[in-house]
Amino acid sequence: MSPAVTIDTLFIDELIAATRDVFKKMVFQDVKASLPILGDAKRPKANVMGTVAFAGKTSGLVVFYSSMDAAQIITASMLETDPGHITGELADAIGELTNMIAGSFRTRVAHAKGEMWAISVPTVTVGSDFYTKYCSDVQRVLCPFHMKNKAELFVELIVTRSAAQ
Amino acid sequence: MRFLIVDDSSTMRRIIINTLNKLGHQDVAEAGNGREGLDRLTAGPVDLIITDWNMPEMSGIDFIRTVRSMPAIKDTPVLMITTNAAKDDIVEALKAGVNSYMVKPFTPDIMKEKIEAVLAR
Repeated sequence: MSPAVTIDTLFIDELIAATRDVFKKMVFQDVKASLPILGDAKRPKANVMGTVAFAGKTSGLVVFYSSMDAAQIITASMLETDPGHITGELADAIGELTNMIAGSFRTRVAHAKGEMWAISVPTVTVGSDFYTKYCSDVQRVLCPFHMKNKAELFVELIVTRSAAQ
Repeated sequence: MRFLIVDDSSTMRRIIINTLNKLGHQDVAEAGNGREGLDRLTAGPVDLIITDWNMPEMSGIDFIRTVRSMPAIKDTPVLMITTNAAKDDIVEALKAGVNSYMVKPFTPDIMKEKIEAVLAR
């Protein structure tokens, strides 16, 4: 049986800080963070999911989740246009948003711990009734955020167990 | 003043264009990767190139190296905007010929400072 391992709290703090910074500077609105949820006790209801992988001394994924409505508002805000005009731009915008969150998170961890990671290009999944299953050898923490209109967003950090130890 | 933005993300190109417009710059050309950027530059010179690093077809670093090797455009100022913020990344970009470096996310004020600094050289 694997020993219980928890994700470094510094990672969680830096992921929350990176997310808030990206929203403030690139989405032009503050998001309010709620208490992080360890493990997979809560699965976010999402129609849009952006993913960026990272690898180095620590390896894993940064995953962004939102509803379609929230993703349209985010995309419109980034592009400074009306949410009703958003069509094909959504996937690229959420990919770029996830890329910036993961990149900023990587930079913050590099400064705090001296760890250098490579990150992947972002992938975006749009749809409904999908479930992403990861191998059991991971630790995960789900960070909830709320936008001004109360829409709920999530950013999840998934770290391979071997790296977490 | 004419700008060329080279980025594979249409979202990021739009964000940069919106920011440049707010700073009073309206003449902006776009390219989706380094190869397209070179095509735009052969069609006519620009006063400042703003480029991403990670792009398909031709990366930002290869694009800048090529620009610096072409006599007609080799002195064009280049500002790189990327999430690659490690010291080694910045050194590599400067060696390739980048004049200044800006890390995403950014604010209009930071972009204004960077553009002014590059153009003042």
